[in-house]
Amino acid sequence: MAMTASDEMAPIALDGGRKARGKLTHTRIRLMMLVLLTAFGLVGMRLFQLGNTVVDSSIEGQARDAITATRPAILDRNGIEMAGDIRVPSLYAEPNRMVDKNEAVSELRSVLPDLDAKWLKGRLDRDKGFVWIARELTPQQRDRILTLGIPGLDFLTESKRFYPGGSEASHILGMVNIDNQGIAGIEARMDRDDVALLQNLGFARGRDLAPVSLSIDMRVQHAMREVLLDALSRYKAADAAAVMLDVHTGEVVGLVSLPDFDPNDPRTFNDLWMGKKNQRFNRITLGRYELGSTFKTITFAAALDAGAIKMTDSFDARFGIKFGRYTIDDFHGKHRILTVPEIYKYSSNVGAIKIMQTLGKDNYRAFLTRIGFDDPLAIELPETIRSDIPKTFSDVVAATAAFGHGLSVTPLHMASAMAALVNGGTLLPATLYKRSPAQAASLGKKVVSEATSERIRYLLRLNALAGSGTHANKLADGYRVGGKTGTAEKVINGRYSSTHNLDVFASAFPIDAPRYAMVVLVDDAKPENEHSGDTAGWNAGEATGRIVHRVAPLLGIAPSFDDQLDSALVPPELRSDARE
Amino acid sequence: MIRWLNLGLLVASAVALVGVYGVKFHSEGTAAERAALERQIGEQQRQLSMLKADWAVLVQPGHIEPIIQRHAEALGLQTVSPKQIKSFDDLPMRPDDLDPAALTQFLNAIESGVDPIAALIEAN
Repeated sequence: MAMTASDEMAPIALDGGRKARGKLTHTRIRLMMLVLLTAFGLVGMRLFQLGNTVVDSSIEGQARDAITATRPAILDRNGIEMAGDIRVPSLYAEPNRMVDKNEAVSELRSVLPDLDAKWLKGRLDRDKGFVWIARELTPQQRDRILTLGIPGLDFLTESKRFYPGGSEASHILGMVNIDNQGIAGIEARMDRDDVALLQNLGFARGRDLAPVSLSIDMRVQHAMREVLLDALSRYKAADAAAVMLDVHTGEVVGLVSLPDFDPNDPRTFNDLWMGKKNQRFNRITLGRYELGSTFKTITFAAALDAGAIKMTDSFDARFGIKFGRYTIDDFHGKHRILTVPEIYKYSSNVGAIKIMQTLGKDNYRAFLTRIGFDDPLAIELPETIRSDIPKTFSDVVAATAAFGHGLSVTPLHMASAMAALVNGGTLLPATLYKRSPAQAASLGKKVVSEATSERIRYLLRLNALAGSGTHANKLADGYRVGGKTGTAEKVINGRYSSTHNLDVFASAFPIDAPRYAMVVLVDDAKPENEHSGDTAGWNAGEATGRIVHRVAPLLGIAPSFDDQLDSALVPPELRSDARE
Repeated sequence: MIRWLNLGLLVASAVALVGVYGVKFHSEGTAAERAALERQIGEQQRQLSMLKADWAVLVQPGHIEPIIQRHAEALGLQTVSPKQIKSFDDLPMRPDDLDPAALTQFLNAIESGVDPIAALIEAN
């Protein structure tokens, strides 16, 4: 309208009398147009700005992003769920929207009596838009709070970590805190390793992450834990632990350390476990021990592989060996000349030292490095420790090391070495994730020859048939266990105690074509009854036998009572027809 | 003419007003519907996660074993002995010289209520 007016008035402006008024109108119109243009310009710019912003400003949206952060489900090797997320309601308040805060406090406490009134009041008195009141409630609690009808209260659905197996695999899985961050075990390791996963966590809202498959077999894990629990009461032991490896892939099939905890219940992480301490301590990866005579297997493998001894050799074990003031002698001394298999069978310390000396102490030390004892554990757990082995061996240290004293390694180091010694000589890094034999092939490191591996298998079987492993063999009849005992005196107040032992059994089965290697520890065991002893064969050995008896059928190992299998293990140089 | 134009614009703005209000109202309704659906989905996901967790507990070996222990006596359950496991390769081949007459006699014996094999096992 203004435009039309100015157009029509332009010629009229020539009329002298109206000139002044016309000019005034003209100015007003221009001013008006300027104001309108500015106003529309502002509106347009605002529209442009709004069009270009991504709206996520509501506090609820932000909070939901952060807390429904889901974690991937953890499955065992057969798809049984070991850890998963359940969605539970959590209560929050928006204090700036609340009407009567005192009333809200008293009503809330009628449903959640655990809440401290003073704490709750202080929390609600802050003029904030968002405060947590209670996390991870039950659906029943949520319904009761909803019926109270307090304004300014609302719920968010949160993910809570749930472990269906309870304590079964506690040391493998570890635990998460209330914000779903891993604080122990593979949960912590998954967070630390996978930066991508962490980033995902923030965005993994309502979207399921791909589940992670572990190498653990829950059936084996359960059986191992049951047998160890039984061992604790049967032998009145302080604690017990066991680990089983697949010798062809290095996968950990089962790993138990007792005492343990229930990852569903944070209190068990700090409280005592059946009156015992150290429930968080993973004895398999974080504990290092003098593993005693089980080390003789390593000594024999080192000497056989270097060609320093032959299976047909004999050594004089009539007298103890003197080192200065000390004399090292045998526990069950035969005190005669022993052949190499006899030294192993009777677990002769003197014989083992002589074999080590034939090999040379530096060669022996080098072999310990080769078999992986100096390497950090490859297993995907944050709770690991390195071995404690002197850098160089003196004569005495080398002598004690030959039968497993004066150096400590973790049970998992020993299990990996056992796997390498029976699988044909390939050392594989232990893993908790699924691994195929093809993947394992590229990771393996040849540490001993196939011929050495064959002889070690024979020695292990010999010990199970006629040596200290007979208890294990009897209980696992048909599944061809081979293994070596180790009874190490525990160091108490800086001295070896003759009454407190750490009993170890390092084994493999079925020994004619090994598939699994296992190390079982029973700490401070007492004799089961007056007819039994307290050395490793009686407790760790029996526990091994019970475990194998239960898990071998599950793992698809066919039992066989064919003596041919055992006689086929005898190396050619020891066969009677070879000697003739 | 200007008057008609103004009138037209006035009507147009009135129609636009009603239209915009309608759209706004409709979109609010849709948003409420969406929120309700989202809530429902959330609730169902929550129930689903609970059911999944239940299932995971029920299939745990550690959950099944105590049940078996409890009913072992009533059902006569025992651990499988290694001696009970055999493979097909361990079965002997059927003899070539099978005697048809003896087989008929054996089947007749079973029919008449006498089991010679059971007698043989009991004798041992």
